[in-house]
Amino acid sequence: MDKDKSTMLALLQLLHKYNFKDTEELFRKEANLIDVSIEDAQQSDSEVNSVLSAYKSEGDPALYEKSYGELKKFVEGSLDIYKHELGTILYPVLVHMYLELIYNNHSDEGKQLVEKYSPNLEEYYQNDLKKLSHVTKREHMAGNELTDTFKSNQFIIRMSRDTLSILKRYLQEKKHSILLNIIQEHLYFDMYEGVARNKNQIEATSGALVGEATRQDNKAKVYYGLLKEPDIQCVPPSVTEEEEEDNGGPDSDKPKKKKPKKDPLFSKKTKSDPNAPPIGRMPLPNLKDVDKLEKIKALREASKRVVLGPDSLPSICFYTLMNSVNTVISAEIAEDSSLLAVGFNDSAIKVWSLVPQKLRIMKDGEQLADVEREAEDVLVRMMDEKTAETVRTLYGHSGPVYCLSFSPDRNLLLSCAEDGTVRLWSLHTWTCVVCYKGHLFPVWSVKFSPHGYYFATGSHDKTARLWATDSHQPLRIFAGHYSDVDVVQFHPNSNYIASGSSDMTIRLWDCVSGNQVRLMTGHKAPIYSLAFSAEGRFLASAGADSRILIWDLAHGHLVAALPSHTASVYCLSFSRDGNILVSGSLDCSIKLWDFTKLAEEMSLEDVNVSHNPDVKTCTESYLLRSFGTKNSPILALHFTRRNLLFGIGRFDAS
Amino acid sequence: MSDMEPMYGTTLSTESMKVIAESIGVGNLPDEAAKDLAEDVSYRLKEIIQDATKFMRQGRRQKLSTHDIDHALKTKNIEPTYGFFAKDHIPFRFASGGGRELHFIEEKEIDLNEIISMAGGPNWPKLPLETNLRAHWLCIDGIQPTIPENPPPVSKEVQKLESVDPISNRNSNANIGKPGGKSHKLRNVETVHVKQLATHELSVEQQLYYKEITEACVGSDEARRVEAFQSLSADPGLHEMLARMCTFIAEGVRINVVQNNLAILIYLMRMVKALLDNPSLYLEKYLHELIPSVVTCIVSKQLCTRPEMDNHWALRDFASRLMAQICKNFNTSTNNIQTRVTRIFSQALAKNNQTPLASLYGAIHGLCELGSEVIKALVIPKIKSISERIETCFEGSNSSNVDKNAAGHIKTLLIKSVAPVLKTLRSPPDYIEEYKQEYGYIGPPLCTAVAKARTQPTTIAPTTTISITNNTSQQQTSVNTNKTISQAVVLGASRGTAGTATSGGQKFVILQSRSQTPTTQQQVQQKPTQATKLVVVCMPNANHAQSTVTQSSLSSKPQVFVTQSNVEQFSNPLEE
Repeated sequence: MDKDKSTMLALLQLLHKYNFKDTEELFRKEANLIDVSIEDAQQSDSEVNSVLSAYKSEGDPALYEKSYGELKKFVEGSLDIYKHELGTILYPVLVHMYLELIYNNHSDEGKQLVEKYSPNLEEYYQNDLKKLSHVTKREHMAGNELTDTFKSNQFIIRMSRDTLSILKRYLQEKKHSILLNIIQEHLYFDMYEGVARNKNQIEATSGALVGEATRQDNKAKVYYGLLKEPDIQCVPPSVTEEEEEDNGGPDSDKPKKKKPKKDPLFSKKTKSDPNAPPIGRMPLPNLKDVDKLEKIKALREASKRVVLGPDSLPSICFYTLMNSVNTVISAEIAEDSSLLAVGFNDSAIKVWSLVPQKLRIMKDGEQLADVEREAEDVLVRMMDEKTAETVRTLYGHSGPVYCLSFSPDRNLLLSCAEDGTVRLWSLHTWTCVVCYKGHLFPVWSVKFSPHGYYFATGSHDKTARLWATDSHQPLRIFAGHYSDVDVVQFHPNSNYIASGSSDMTIRLWDCVSGNQVRLMTGHKAPIYSLAFSAEGRFLASAGADSRILIWDLAHGHLVAALPSHTASVYCLSFSRDGNILVSGSLDCSIKLWDFTKLAEEMSLEDVNVSHNPDVKTCTESYLLRSFGTKNSPILALHFTRRNLLFGIGRFDAS
Repeated sequence: MSDMEPMYGTTLSTESMKVIAESIGVGNLPDEAAKDLAEDVSYRLKEIIQDATKFMRQGRRQKLSTHDIDHALKTKNIEPTYGFFAKDHIPFRFASGGGRELHFIEEKEIDLNEIISMAGGPNWPKLPLETNLRAHWLCIDGIQPTIPENPPPVSKEVQKLESVDPISNRNSNANIGKPGGKSHKLRNVETVHVKQLATHELSVEQQLYYKEITEACVGSDEARRVEAFQSLSADPGLHEMLARMCTFIAEGVRINVVQNNLAILIYLMRMVKALLDNPSLYLEKYLHELIPSVVTCIVSKQLCTRPEMDNHWALRDFASRLMAQICKNFNTSTNNIQTRVTRIFSQALAKNNQTPLASLYGAIHGLCELGSEVIKALVIPKIKSISERIETCFEGSNSSNVDKNAAGHIKTLLIKSVAPVLKTLRSPPDYIEEYKQEYGYIGPPLCTAVAKARTQPTTIAPTTTISITNNTSQQQTSVNTNKTISQAVVLGASRGTAGTATSGGQKFVILQSRSQTPTTQQQVQQKPTQATKLVVVCMPNANHAQSTVTQSSLSSKPQVFVTQSNVEQFSNPLEE
């Protein structure tokens, strides 16, 4: 109430100062402040400004260091069980003290404070502190992404009831107004009942730009189950039969019967999953005949796939891009492993055919008219034989191409670039079909939905967006990240999009409602890669902190952290049967992880919603193998339908 | 708090601001303004660089490029600074003077007209190479094949580290590229052993490979041999077999020197050469076996059964070049290989009159290969005594054909390798008399050679007199300058009592101090430094050597080449 009043007084004073007489009167009336004279408020001009902005200039700059020092001493001297939880307030308090000092032109004191205390803070905060330390003037604070974020958001800290009451008692005793103000204004305590967390538990989820996720953030239900596979065999019997006849009955029959036995994944899919989203929740495109044929083909291939495990590791075929130092940025392989697209620094895109079949251009209109439409191989006839090439180049962007994505039917390719546009390319005519302009800044990531039609993008403008290929406007704009959205990924059921950001959080967005349904913190550096597990429940993420984190989407909990790489991890992929997770990094190595074992050992049953379960960090027991390449950082990893692993890397001769 | 300084980093100096201000026409910028500007500009620069790192990371790189800066400027709505393209890195030059330090980019001014006028010419900028795709197996069913496309299982740095500090990487990278079960087993074994034992298991394939390779190297089929050498010099996965290879070579030299089997010795030296050339191997750990073998082939009194007929000189030449390559690659301030090798050779020279001529030749050649400084310091002072010795061989009535032949070789060698050095040492007028006085018998021809060398302005091409194989040449950049006369160092290295010990001259027996052959430790006149060093290096490998012997499938090495030598006998390998 007091605070409200002072704000109003400040406002009143401002109105008075600029001579808005009518407004002032009106305001006085409404705020019940008629008889309060401006002099009573006894506030100077500078104070007006500071109330309006978030930082007050009250207090002697020398007091900051003293009160921070005392706070630190208090934290260190408290009981061991509360110590670590109390410790979490040190970083935000230091940051806001520094910003207040800078704002009030006490840069020297600010510098001194940060120099003295920042080395004691956690390693993963040092990067942000360093960035913050560049800001030494009030003018610098305007437009600085980091300070803006701190200024306009409360830093979220989770605390047990006991710890919080200890903290409150301390604050009341000491009555450091500076400290009190900062804690009131800029910190948000998400209180929970129960035992205070230990150091490891806290460290697991801290590190994000604005603190941890509140309990509320992860309460919504997520339908992480897979959609029911359309029953292709039964629906168009004619198609299936034809197919079977084509391939000679007995041969094609066999694998299909075997399928359910061989691969439990398939049988699961045909049953309806309790966690799957209701049918029709997200409108998906209807399957065309061609798509059905493709599905059948995929299933048949899948029946021949090797079941991977610690005893049967995959083979890796590695494609090295030669003469590509500083020119190649991104690479992507089509779902059926037939095409490879590579994005270049000089705005070009190249598409290679990885199979003997060459890349052809569709005939022009006149010639197409001559093609017999009823012919069985009409699709082949439409293509011009004379144009067969193993590699084709697409020009259109005007900046480095950061990400590429093939449509599931391989007719289309999406690309996003530094020029802020997303382009859709036809792989029949080999031309750009649509240019989606919506993002204002470089677009870092683009992903086609596993069902086609929709795609998602993430950009430097801090938003992720959902688009449909036939619309110039985005269908959804997911805003909430505090920094660049570096990577987006579709959930296998197309109902959700996960986004990873430079604010070190991962968010899960519901495509249908547009809401954020999960907020996951724990990364200590920007996130560059996301992958959903085959059964849809888990999310693997990795990035510049060289660790791979595994998340349980049911509650948004971090379940495992796997450090082993020595440089940023840029690609993750699950094997088709979901047994193995592979990661590829700039340290020129590919690592295989035993995901089956990991999933088995996770204590998913006794999950307490408010508590993060213990995080598995035992790298040794899950790391199956590590394969080094010869000076070739890994750009992409892809499992074929038969579980052969493809890796793409660019050779750095130096 | 001393390390806190970098937290606030640097700011631009006010002088820079003033200079920049002047360059855009602002005459005298007040100090206060310059200071404020400097601080602000520094902050803005840091901010831009921070943004640029985002572009670098999204470009999946670890090095910031000029493009990243451009893109960061673009997002801030600032016109990028066009024209600063650097493909890889910007080559800043450093200059200092008057207490100032300066970093600048050295940029040449390019005359466009010139470039256009010679369009298509040799100086025309080259087009960048097309990006292309190349596929290989990184791993097959979880096992990484050791092919040139894959990194070597144990990198050269690790091998190097291992040779310096064997315990360091005991436990690291145990499971790289090896089946899981096996590596687990290994780890368990290691935890049980108190002593750090190196277990070197060779897979069946590796055993087969070893057998094939060694047979091919000393066998009679030249085509196979070439293939084998090719494999030895290029395959990345030989690390584990290296210990055995080196033992094979050492044992081979030991036995075939006694038997005077020139062909086999040449093949073994070519094996050493191939291993040296292999970019993924680090041989330091095995030098204690290799160096004595190589030195033997340089200075042994007799290397072939018919010294007057066979060209054992070629083997000496080849081995000398190998020695020089070893010195070049592995000489460090701690092992002093070059110094020690030089000492061996020069001691042979010192005992001029007792050394057999063939050994003398070897010693001179060995020294000459080590570079012009060595020639200057150690060979040239000896020329006179050497030439006296040659003279007696040529002129003396009781000298055999063999001696004459050897003396002739020494003479040519000296003239060839010493002349270029003398050219630089002596000032132009070359008088035969002077030469004769200074260098004795060999003076006059030397003088002509020097005079001739002066007329050819270019440096003398390091022609290899006799090329043993087509791939021998590369090594020497050093100019083969030479002239010498020698003194012998006989290496009798047979395992039992040395049958070679009979020659009248003095001999130097260099022995490998190996644990399983304690009987041979009777070092007659041994360079102490050399020996101790060898022992030291030997220690970590003792196990390897032993394990070789215990490998039943491998233990029959000696037979391998004994039998081969019978088949092969003396089809002179030098003709090829």
